[in-house]
Amino acid sequence: MSDWSKVTRPIPVPNEWTKPFWDAAKRNSLELQRCQSCGHFQHPPYATCVQCMGIDLKFEAVRGAGTIYAYTIMYHTGDKRFASVVPYASIVVELDDAPGALLAGNLLESNYTEAKVGRRVEVIFEKLNDDITLPQFRLAV
Amino acid sequence: MWDNRCKIAISGVGYSKVSRSADIPLAAHALAAVKDAVADSGLEMSDIDGLATYPELPATGHAEVDGISIVSVNCMMAMLKLPSLTWHIQVGTTNIGGAVQQAVNALLAGVCKYAVVWRAMHNPKGTYQNLPGAQAQGAAQFTAPYGFGGPGQGMAVAYTRWLERNNQTRDKMATLAVTQRKHTQHNPHAYFYGTPLTREDYFASRMVAYPFCLFDCDIPVQGAVAIVLTTADRAKDLKPKPAYIAGYGQRLHFETAGRIGSLSSYMEGGSSSAKLTWERSGFSPKDVDVAQIYDGFSASVIYGLESYGFCKEGEALDFIQDGRIELDGELPLNTFGGSLGTGRIHGLWHIIEGALQASGRAGSRQVKGANVSFVGASAPIVTGTTFIFVGDPY
Repeated sequence: MSDWSKVTRPIPVPNEWTKPFWDAAKRNSLELQRCQSCGHFQHPPYATCVQCMGIDLKFEAVRGAGTIYAYTIMYHTGDKRFASVVPYASIVVELDDAPGALLAGNLLESNYTEAKVGRRVEVIFEKLNDDITLPQFRLAV
Repeated sequence: MWDNRCKIAISGVGYSKVSRSADIPLAAHALAAVKDAVADSGLEMSDIDGLATYPELPATGHAEVDGISIVSVNCMMAMLKLPSLTWHIQVGTTNIGGAVQQAVNALLAGVCKYAVVWRAMHNPKGTYQNLPGAQAQGAAQFTAPYGFGGPGQGMAVAYTRWLERNNQTRDKMATLAVTQRKHTQHNPHAYFYGTPLTREDYFASRMVAYPFCLFDCDIPVQGAVAIVLTTADRAKDLKPKPAYIAGYGQRLHFETAGRIGSLSSYMEGGSSSAKLTWERSGFSPKDVDVAQIYDGFSASVIYGLESYGFCKEGEALDFIQDGRIELDGELPLNTFGGSLGTGRIHGLWHIIEGALQASGRAGSRQVKGANVSFVGASAPIVTGTTFIFVGDPY
């Protein structure tokens, strides 16, 4: 299993579009941007609804259950911050509540070989510092 | 069909030396390629009155320094001091194929007579993707914290989705890498000219970002290539046999920054560009004699073959087997070796080869009887463009 303890992850810098996402993650909650006109969830956050051009967008809680949409196993150590943990699984997750909104993550608490397209996962939260907590994923129990 | 088909032609191609490291400034590479292309056309440099490029540095985290890591129009003009320049552009929403298309448009509009387009690519010293930042800004805030650091991973996630949804394995990709390296041995300008590759080499190579091993990735190099474009009536008087542009297209599908892994985005990008190209030229995939499809990472060829319509979705890895993409196969593919053979020069070399094959100038790798020559000049979603060249105008 990948040992993430020696990895120094880049710290996300929230901006005016993304701050509610990170504020929610700090509370161990997953909230995605939702168009109040057509109900479409989208991620990453954007200035307008990419489905209907609506501009009334709010962040709403979604359940953390989803499937692995795609993944890669990283072996290359070009990014020295992650060199200690190769090979590791970087995954893309599609949540049940937000089809089409793709979230990046790592597959934690399992061997990287467990990453497969279509496998069920659930969100967990990894605290980076007092300000930032990362949504992450593990295989669904 | 497009009223302007076969009204513009490529009439000169040129290359710099392709080297692994940046021994001389990139501007010198670009200048060498432009001089070579103008000489190939039989023109004098003073005849050139149009300039276009895409001066982007794909190596992230390195400074863009004009003349060192990029070569802008400004830099090129400072070197050439063209006495009769009447038009120039740098593009952004497309890769280098868009610069070629802008040159086509300028020639059709009559605002220049002989346009030069170049692509110069820098390989920085040290780590190619330089990601030392402690913070992840902008779109990267949703990807970099999870170790998504470079374009290889962005492509790799779509590739795993393609493989597993289609019950395929990466083993079949060895055929692409080995066949293209075989083609490379007919291209003395290519980085891997003189270096063959076997299936055993492919399977023994180290993994980079699964499903990509080393030989699924084009090697970063320092070098430049260039072309001369002009109108069909002027091209007839030049030295080389012209390669006429029968049609072109651009990807019309756009993806939100930071959204990664969407296989459907590649497919929609490719099919939107190809549809325009087929409609404008009047051809369809079955008419194509030879194809160049961008291969910065091998899986781009899968997305290209399927989204452009050469085979059905899920079938591309089977399509490339059994000699079909050999020089004498049903669809000779990346006949100059592709980026996997030449090194990372982006799509202008694919365009050059498309033109050379259409005009019968491809030397020992010439596909016999080739007339309809297709080019997909960059990864379908990122900045994709497509072209058809013909040797016989119609």
